[in-house]
Amino acid sequence: MEEKSPGNMPARGFDQLVKGYEFSPVSYELSKSAISKYLEAVAGQGGYPSSDFVPPMCVAARSLGVLSGLISLLAGAIHTSQELEFLKLVPVGTTIECHGRVVQKLQRGRLRLLVIGLSTFNQDKEQVLAGKTTLVLPG
Amino acid sequence: MSSLGKQPKTKLKAGDTLPSVVKHVSQEKINLYAEASGDFNPIHIDEAFARQTPFGGTVAHGMLCLAYVSEMMTAAFGRSWAAGGRLSVRFKAPARPGDTITIEGKVVSTVDEEGVVYANCSLGARNQKGETVVVGEAKVKLG
Repeated sequence: MEEKSPGNMPARGFDQLVKGYEFSPVSYELSKSAISKYLEAVAGQGGYPSSDFVPPMCVAARSLGVLSGLISLLAGAIHTSQELEFLKLVPVGTTIECHGRVVQKLQRGRLRLLVIGLSTFNQDKEQVLAGKTTLVLPG
Repeated sequence: MSSLGKQPKTKLKAGDTLPSVVKHVSQEKINLYAEASGDFNPIHIDEAFARQTPFGGTVAHGMLCLAYVSEMMTAAFGRSWAAGGRLSVRFKAPARPGDTITIEGKVVSTVDEEGVVYANCSLGARNQKGETVVVGEAKVKLG
């Protein structure tokens, strides 16, 4: 799957992130092979999906995957909650542009918590997915 | 996984249960999911690293469990889930290699919002010991 990162931007650590910080957008293509790989992982069913549309959680998974590449210090991070809204069907072959921003950042003692807002768009600039991810980072 | 090309007949009403999904979690599936999602956090794939964390071993991606939740919702609601579904969950405990995860859901209520009827659903995932792994709710348009 081809991924276009924002100019080889280095991943940002917890200390560099502030509430409201917007990550540079990242785009990727939801190709047939990428979706087959996803289906194999989640269902044990290899091969081509049975419809022309991408499973909505595949879009969410890939988008969170590319966003996580923009944040360093995620080794051992724990995903504690997730909100998602699927706004539009995504046909196979769609190029997704993924936007993320820091919604909340907390540090109390050794507890470090990040809430990341996620918005993804298709190549026609229509929003297809919105979400919010809460991560607890190791102290 | 249910086809998004099919639209189940959603005659669901408050109190109805959703078709449960049962999945076996293995390290092989977790590794495949890491490849497919691009999430290579070592807590999922590096046994030596994960042994030193409070979990004491690798755990599945939370999003892998949500994929199972989404499979249940797709089976129940088809395209309405993929285009208009909303989900809010908390990860209460890890799913580990060797676990069998059962996903269950129930229509808690239906609401009419300006002529469009939505189902509010409760969701849960538990392991073979009965421990809650995921808990949350979803909202999806009926019909």
